[in-house]
Amino acid sequence: MTASKNQHLAANPYRPWPTRITSIVDLTENEKLFELRIIDDEVRDTFRFDSGQFVEMSIFGVGEAPISISSAPSKRGFIELCVRKAGDVTGALHSKRCGDIIGIRGPFGRGFPIQEMKGHDVLLVAGGLGIAPLKSLINQIHDERHEFGKVTILYGARNPSEVLFRYQFDMWKHRDDFELILTVDEADDSWADEVGVVTKLFDKIEIDSARTYSAICGPPVMYRFVIDEMRKKGMDVDRIFVSFERRMKCGIGKCGHCGVGHQYTCIDGPVFSYWEAMNLQEAI
Amino acid sequence: MFFRVMDQSRLPDLVRGLAEEFEVVGPVAKDDRYVFGRIEDPADLELHYDTTLLPPKKLFFPPEERMMRFRVADNEVVDDEVYAGPRVLFGVHPCDINGLLLMDNVFMGDFEDPYYKARRENTVIVGVSCTPTDTCFCNAWGTDEVHWGFDIFLTDLGDRYFVSVRSVLGAELLDRHVETREIGDADTEAFQSASRKFKGSFTEELDTSQLPLLLDAKFDSPMWDELGDRCLSCGACSTVCPTCYCFDVVDRLEPDQKTGMRERRWDSCQFVEFAAVAHGENFRVSRASRVKYRYYHKQWGYLSKFERVLCVGCGRCERACLAKISPREVVKALETGGVQ
Repeated sequence: MTASKNQHLAANPYRPWPTRITSIVDLTENEKLFELRIIDDEVRDTFRFDSGQFVEMSIFGVGEAPISISSAPSKRGFIELCVRKAGDVTGALHSKRCGDIIGIRGPFGRGFPIQEMKGHDVLLVAGGLGIAPLKSLINQIHDERHEFGKVTILYGARNPSEVLFRYQFDMWKHRDDFELILTVDEADDSWADEVGVVTKLFDKIEIDSARTYSAICGPPVMYRFVIDEMRKKGMDVDRIFVSFERRMKCGIGKCGHCGVGHQYTCIDGPVFSYWEAMNLQEAI
Repeated sequence: MFFRVMDQSRLPDLVRGLAEEFEVVGPVAKDDRYVFGRIEDPADLELHYDTTLLPPKKLFFPPEERMMRFRVADNEVVDDEVYAGPRVLFGVHPCDINGLLLMDNVFMGDFEDPYYKARRENTVIVGVSCTPTDTCFCNAWGTDEVHWGFDIFLTDLGDRYFVSVRSVLGAELLDRHVETREIGDADTEAFQSASRKFKGSFTEELDTSQLPLLLDAKFDSPMWDELGDRCLSCGACSTVCPTCYCFDVVDRLEPDQKTGMRERRWDSCQFVEFAAVAHGENFRVSRASRVKYRYYHKQWGYLSKFERVLCVGCGRCERACLAKISPREVVKALETGGVQ
């Protein structure tokens, strides 16, 4: 029992850290890349995360939204969020300018099993905005390229104007240590890459299933089709990893909104192995 | 644990004594039902109540609560203090004490919830024994007994209470405010006899064997569609549930648009927008999927983490449900089948 009636909360996991927007890049009509810097020196210096983890992005007066971190864990001092204008909170973020202050809480959840993946080939498959969380993993692999075997990246978007990070991928296409294949559902005259859904690209790649880990991120309808292709290539269900998007409102396993089967996406995921996902009702 | 005996005529002394130091909250009559309300006069306390409309969770996790006040300009928190005055919650049944213990796992485990914790740590719990009603099924989960989670527990022996003392504070308060005596063999025997009578007075023994596995095995059973057809998605079941903890968070701006409050409110997985995400996807559109999720989470999801079912058998949801959906009926429907 404490005597005082009003308690000041020393540690409050719901309290966002004031964070400055240090750069904004327009990626597409609806997506922007925000570079953020936590203002408090100590918090910023101790902020560590794994690829695949997310933060709660907080704009007081509007609300919070869970956003995957797109930058690599090795990039210190700043984090990047790739955000589509989809609701009130992301809409409010899109109207912010460089130098404005927002809030973040986190990082939360379980990311990709990077230590397990090291020493193996890696196949990464992204659809649409699913490239945002995978971008962190791609950048991390890039930073520690010698730790991984063959790296294959398949990325599909609806049309050329919706391809995210195109400037970077256009450069990577010329590198021989990444196999990168881009595809769009509907091409235009500017498009020189593949056309068709991302699953079609599996005919074009060679996978040594015994030594490959894979990660998939995209719209819910994509998972089953991509996983079918991976299974056809002989990949084990516990080496395929998926990242789920649910309504992670609190981020800390309390509010209940992100329940998937018997687990919570925010603390048990958002990254699950396909074996785990198979055991989650209504997950895929 | 140690025990004392207190004459029932002494009860007002205890309540009055506690009220000198604490805000005392306990069961009081409201129309023809009961609620947990403030006790100004020991005579207001209705210790022979059946069950309260809302469970005691409202005192630790209020229906609406301010989490923090903020300033818009620099996105800064102005204050996040929590009001948690010293309080005694008097006359809680074993099911509801067990309900709080189940909530503790969520709010006081990983990522401690400071609001809940502040109130929990500032509340003395005095439990009281009960008589099962025809909607009670706490015996199905073992939540008809409570072994911790209280400071003092009073077992009704007719003219006296068999007093179980769990905490140092409970012992001190008892010592300070009321006359009690040591237990004798006759008191222990009367306590055992009361416990046997209690155990024997449940209207049924619910079969819960293999329940978590059956929830998976019968995940596509038509029983869920039938329940979904009846459910009104009103969320009353979650509101009255002593173990439902889901909440929504809402920002409210002051008229000047410069400051505001971030609040949380009870939410329900039965509401259609509960599992909707910003991109337009909704993972539980059908009522059947939402009714099913409620049971799936309570009897398997929570259990997979904490090895307990997230239900204490208080029967409040059954009483509150306009569609007459009861957990007993759901459990029976799942258990039906196989060779008898």
